[in-house]
Amino acid sequence: MVETKKLKWIFKKDIMVLWRHKPRLISYLLFPIIMITLFGYGFGGTVTDIPVVIVSQSSGPVTDATINAIKSESLYDVTSIINDPNQGRQMVLNGQDKAAIVLPPNYDDTQSSTPKNVILDIDSSDEIVSSALIPTTQALFSQLSNQIGVQQLQASGLTPSSVSSSTINVLSGNQSTILSNPTTSGINFENIVNSINFQVNKLYGNISYIDFLVPGVLALVILFSCMFGMGESIAGERERGELARLFMTPTSIATVVGGKILSKLVQETGRAILLIAVAIGLFGIVIAGSMLLTLLLLVLVALCFVGLGMMISARVSTQADYQQIIQPITLPMMFLSGVFFPVETMPWIFQKLAYLIPLTYANDALRAVMLKGAGLGAIWLDIVVLLGFTVLFFGLGIRGFNRDI
Amino acid sequence: MKYAVETFDLTKNYGDFTAVDKLKMKIRNKSIFGFLGPNGAGKTTTVKVLTCLALPTSGTATVAGYDILENPNEVRQKIGMIPQMVSLYGDLTVKENIHMCADFYGVPEDLIESRADELMEMMDIKYAENKYVSQLSGGMKQKASVVASLIHQPDILFMDEPTIGLDPTTKRILWNLVEELHSEGRTIILCSHDMYEVELLCDDVGIINNGVLAAFNTPQALKDAMINEQKNVKNSKRSNIAKIVEEIQKEATPEEYAAYDKIKDHAEEENRDTRQLSVIISNLNDELFNQLKNLSITYNITKQSSGRITLDILDSDESVTEVISTIIMNNGIITSISTKDPSLEDVFVKVTAKKKEGGEI
Ligand SMILES: Nc1ncnc2c1ncn2[C@@H]1O[C@H](COP(=O)(O)OP(=O)(O)OP(=O)(O)O)[C@@H](O)[C@H]1O
Ligand SMILES: [Mg+2]
Repeated sequence: MVETKKLKWIFKKDIMVLWRHKPRLISYLLFPIIMITLFGYGFGGTVTDIPVVIVSQSSGPVTDATINAIKSESLYDVTSIINDPNQGRQMVLNGQDKAAIVLPPNYDDTQSSTPKNVILDIDSSDEIVSSALIPTTQALFSQLSNQIGVQQLQASGLTPSSVSSSTINVLSGNQSTILSNPTTSGINFENIVNSINFQVNKLYGNISYIDFLVPGVLALVILFSCMFGMGESIAGERERGELARLFMTPTSIATVVGGKILSKLVQETGRAILLIAVAIGLFGIVIAGSMLLTLLLLVLVALCFVGLGMMISARVSTQADYQQIIQPITLPMMFLSGVFFPVETMPWIFQKLAYLIPLTYANDALRAVMLKGAGLGAIWLDIVVLLGFTVLFFGLGIRGFNRDI
Repeated sequence: MKYAVETFDLTKNYGDFTAVDKLKMKIRNKSIFGFLGPNGAGKTTTVKVLTCLALPTSGTATVAGYDILENPNEVRQKIGMIPQMVSLYGDLTVKENIHMCADFYGVPEDLIESRADELMEMMDIKYAENKYVSQLSGGMKQKASVVASLIHQPDILFMDEPTIGLDPTTKRILWNLVEELHSEGRTIILCSHDMYEVELLCDDVGIINNGVLAAFNTPQALKDAMINEQKNVKNSKRSNIAKIVEEIQKEATPEEYAAYDKIKDHAEEENRDTRQLSVIISNLNDELFNQLKNLSITYNITKQSSGRITLDILDSDESVTEVISTIIMNNGIITSISTKDPSLEDVFVKVTAKKKEGGEI
């Protein structure tokens, strides 16, 4: 009875303080939204609308079809269509466009069997753009050349060995050398016609990078806010002597810690709901699995990190100490846990380390539920590990709690 | 229960440093105990351990009859503490803080309101009950802290320098409160550097130095002890000189013997017990001054402005009387007279003069 009153007070006090400090409240609610927006737009979006210029030196149905094909591809934003290859290259060099797609003069000549060299002058100093443009452009022309080849076959009855090939010329960073010898860094791709069919089966539907990120970012936001919050919650109150005031009364460490956990948990759950709402509203995220399971997972993740924060906070005497100590813990956690890159693609030592990090399991479970629609049966191991971490953190936290002032 | 607090070789170390060193101390139940000692002597540390805010390194203590190690929560329930560092929640109002504390002590819900109001009235902080503690002045915070510490009507109240930073009026409010709590039969343990406050309030005084109890008694007994101790020192000094001279005299020629006698007399004179007497005589004249100067009990006399004279006289019960009767017989008018006794402050300075060897910072 008395203990529930105490729990209620600790909880109430935290919420009241948050409510009374409006700037704190606002930044508290904005933080996850900013995080998700940043990751969503900054990292997560697929690249689209890259400004390109088309250099067209011929006319006819093939040219028209090609230009239309380029225009309809969302990756490109065709700024202009010109007929001087040098001008096109210049436009890339002065940064007006990211690439020039240069169609050769004989492009529409369907009768001849001379190879048609399509050149892609690309600003290779922009790694993101070139890694997106090259494969797409390549695929586009190989598809087109297939169609041309088929037309040629039908027209002449010839074997498919004499089909045209397209050349993509990559302009590297050192532009002056390239200009004096433009073709040295050119790469030639031989096209294979109709011999291989490539089919992609997206087993979980169309999942963009943002979809991939959201579960991880959710866990990450919870990690950050729990870790930062616990510093204020225990070390800060200790520093100001407020914790001592509570400990003067006949109150156990478990009650104080319990109250802190309760208030943090409610706050974090509220934020997790807000975060999911924003992710759905702003980025059209679809949660494949159970919403309830997702929320329960988020609560468990919050509990786990509150435990970690508490464990550290309980042992230090000032907030400054706390902030110093958590930095080398949270940052590696963030990168090693597979929020941004899959754990499987990391060097083996990091992979091993990743298994020591609760965030890894949080990510894994959240991704499974949110992307693959997994149920409890598929993620029970993650849950057990997270629970294990939580119990460990709380055990060590309460044991190491420094009641002395 | 005879003692409100009893410590048994209570020790608290911070790393290698011993802040409280095998302290043995008994504080009478229902007394006001003054806990004195120089800065860094270990008062706050002792109080922290006794109030279960810190664990002792070794030894133990009973507070309100409960062992601080075995029954800390019972101890906490029985005591109140006004700490050196105010620690109410800055983001809550005075009233909220007091209610929170009341609930933490398990004060029955229907009593909280009336008790809080009564205490706030008494400490003159009621007018600020809805202010955030972070917005209060230092003294107001202290008042709020006092209310919060008394809300559960503790048997023992620890106060660590409670009047620091308080204005004279507030100081008196607090002193009155202490006396009222005392009259209700509560024990008060008061750490203070204010000798006036201690002499005014305390039944017993303990002086701690370097973590050990250097003196413990009533304020009067401590002062008397100091007077006696001064006498003893002088007596032993005199007898030493006399003994040495007498030893030399054994082998001296008669002329030398007489000379040594003079030395002995002089030494005795130097070490005579004297008492300082300060008198203001409004109609002081040279004749009276000389009469006083020639009294056999007067060793030294100086005249200051506006009729004040300071005399060093033999320390005996009759000598003060003799000075006064001489003045009256000469029709002198006494407007003020005072003798100088050692103060508690003198006791403090003397008792704590010993610094720890190899002194640390
Ligand atoms: N948390 C701590 N860590 C290390 N040393 C400490 C700590 N607290 C106190 N001390 C040391 O213990 C000794 C006793 O300190 P304490 O605060 O008990 O003195 P005090 O008698 O209350 O002094 P004051 O009159 O200045 O309040 C000091 O030398 C102090 O430096
Ligand atoms: Mg102190």
